Order: sequence, then C-alpha cells, then structure tokens
Amino acid sequence: MTDEPYNIDCHEALDRLYEYMDGELTPVRAQEVRLHLEMCAPCLAASNFENAYVRFLEARSWAQKAPEELRKKILQQILFEGERSGTT
Amino acid sequence: MAAEPDDKRRAFEEEALPHLDTVYRVALRLAGDEAQADDLVQETMLKAFRSWHQYRPGTNVRAWLLTILRHTFINEYRKRRKVVAEVDVTEVEAWTVFPAVQEVDPEGRFFDQIVDEEVLQAIDSLPDEFRETLTLSDVEGLTYAEIAEITEVPVGTVKSRLFRARQALQKQLYDYAVEMGYIKRREE
Repeated sequence: MTDEPYNIDCHEALDRLYEYMDGELTPVRAQEVRLHLEMCAPCLAASNFENAYVRFLEARSWAQKAPEELRKKILQQILFEGERSGTT
Repeated sequence: MAAEPDDKRRAFEEEALPHLDTVYRVALRLAGDEAQADDLVQETMLKAFRSWHQYRPGTNVRAWLLTILRHTFINEYRKRRKVVAEVDVTEVEAWTVFPAVQEVDPEGRFFDQIVDEEVLQAIDSLPDEFRETLTLSDVEGLTYAEIAEITEVPVGTVKSRLFRARQALQKQLYDYAVEMGYIKRREE
C-alpha cells in the first residue's frame, strides 16, 4: 500500500517535470505527474513548452560526426601501437 | 604471439570505434574548438586502446570511453580552453522563460528559428560541469545513471545540474530570439 500514487501540487509536479520527460521516474512517481498534468491546465501548458524545448535540443545536436581524417589517424595509431607491443 | 595484439585491435575496432562520433561531439563541447577536440579525441582513443585490458567486456563501453575523455580533458586540456564560461548558473531562477512567452508563443515555436551554430555557442558559454551534463544528456541521450558514473557525482547532482543547465540555456536562447526579433519580449 505504500506505493500508491498521491495527489501532488504544482510545485512538486514542475519540480519533477524534466525527470518525467526524461523517463527517469518510477512508474508510480510518473503517474502522479501525469495525473496532475491532466487536471492542471497551467502546468500542462508549461509541460508542453518544456517538452518542445528539450525535443528541440535533442533534435539539433546530432549532426556533427568525427572527421574522416581523425578516424584514419586513430586507426593508424592503434595499428602502430599494436605492432610495437607485439614485438616486445 | 602475433595473434594477440591483432585480437585486441579487432575487439577495439569493433567495440570502441563505433562510439567515435559520440566521443568527438563531447570532446568538441568540452574543449571548445576543433583543433583541441581533435587532439583530445586522439589521446583519449590511444589511452583507451592501451588500457583495453581494463575494460570489462559486456559493460558500457561508451561510458568507459567518455570517462577517459573527461579525465584527459580535466588533466590536460581544461586550462587551454579558449572559450570562457560566462553564464552564472547559480543566478538562474526556476522557470524563467515560460511565464514570459505563454501569451505569445506557448508552444516554443521560436526555438525552431534558432540556427545550430547559435545553440552550440550558447551551450559553450555554460560552466564546465553544466555544459558536460547537458551535452551527455541532450546531445548524446545518456541516462542520469550513466552521466553520474562518468562525471563521478550522485544522480541527485546530475538532476540538479541538468535542471539548471537547461534553464540557463533556455534563457540564453530566449534572449537571443528576442534580440533577433523571432519573438516579442513581454510588455512590462
């Protein structure tokens, strides 16, 4: 009976919002946030905004890849290292 | 005897090298420029290869590589960083932006007008521990537990750093969007 969802207030819901969005809450703690958002329009609006913001960050930053030159250099280095340690 | 270094190299190439893009992106955010990031990544991967025997197969190789990257950065590169953090994260109040935009842009459409370069520059202006936490979470999608392991702090610290880093960054991006005219500042 200890892990039934409680009613939480706006402060508590907003405090957990990022953890909720990041999937870092236990199912019961997440359910408490979800139930609060269902009945609280201002918190739901804030939650939609924060959600858009974090999705925007995640979508943006993936583009950069390691340069091909760097990949080659590393392959050469470990090849050289492997040979060096192989001869000792 | 010759087969042994070959096996090591093959295992390293198959397991560690696929994470090179991740290591590079995190290095870029830590070091602040491409030349430094290049050196930092090379040194990290070479160290990882040399200590490959310490890696336990089946455990999180990405977290292991990022831990080596972070130690290398702190020990040898941090002092050389040219971009200096200018945002005071302790000054950030909770939920600074939403109340200012809820009338004009509650869905945060202004974010989509901000170019990548500006976002990365804003990330780079955050202090080290906030920049690294945000990068590991929002750029690379690591869990709080993984970030806690790599940055050697409790999960609660990751949570509070991420909260403040996201809010500080959001404020930066909002100020930029106002300046560029993507969004109107709320009438005082």
